Amino acid sequence: MTAETPPNRKTVSDDDTELVQAINAGHTERFQELVRRYEQKLYNFGRRMCRNESDAEDLVQDTFLNVYRFLKDFRYETKFKNWLYRVAANTSLKRQRRSKFAPEPELSLEEFARNEEAELIETVPDWARMPLDQILNEELLETLNQAIWSLPEKYRIVVILRDVEEFSTEETAQILNLSPANVKVRLHRARLFLRDRLKGYFSHDL
Amino acid sequence: MTCKPHDYERCLELFGKLSEYIDREMDEAERRDLEAHVAECLACLSCLQSLKQTIALCKQIGRQPVPVVFSQKLQSMVQDLQRSR
Repeated sequence: MTAETPPNRKTVSDDDTELVQAINAGHTERFQELVRRYEQKLYNFGRRMCRNESDAEDLVQDTFLNVYRFLKDFRYETKFKNWLYRVAANTSLKRQRRSKFAPEPELSLEEFARNEEAELIETVPDWARMPLDQILNEELLETLNQAIWSLPEKYRIVVILRDVEEFSTEETAQILNLSPANVKVRLHRARLFLRDRLKGYFSHDL
Repeated sequence: MTCKPHDYERCLELFGKLSEYIDREMDEAERRDLEAHVAECLACLSCLQSLKQTIALCKQIGRQPVPVVFSQKLQSMVQDLQRSR
């Protein structure tokens, strides 16, 4: 089956279109160029998704293998980058599902709200109002990375796509095949989880 | 400085919407309503500011360079794919 675009279907053209079309037209030697263009982005996506570095590398490798296999099915209906992340996200979720048997925990908004009510902090903490350059250091970034890795994966992938990779809600919904409303729910809970970890870090630090 | 006494049910209701507010995904009326509440409620202001700072920190995680050995491994993988066609 070919991936020709039927008439009247909206297509998206971006900086990758020429390269992807060339590869699909048979210039497979240019796949190398595509790998070089995206290896850093995917490597960092992998490092955020996987605690273990070799798992991250396997994820990147499997993603490029899948891209190579399925590129002919790309229909130019989204930015290529968004399609690439869709392949990466599917590859990641499949890999992680294979390695786990227990269902993942849900993050409950009610629980976050209960904790908030119990604490009822009526002053903005210093860490939340200081300029970023005054609080940023290696230890804090490591704490944040650890917190991201501690998130159940369905929340982790949403916060990585939205707040680290900076995709929009709509794009994230497309990449993950979720509704925008579902993306918003998961994102808010993931952010509250990370905020609690940061609160913990700063309260130990004081 | 403390909050004026008020209905904390409203705080709980807005607690679930703070991300939508930060991401500018709220309609104008809801936005004005939340801003009016936060102007009077230090607990919600604290929550909003710490959530905003959390998001700002996520954007600072930064990018690590790809290890040279791994980059070479990817290139060999692509060469193998082409040879096997």
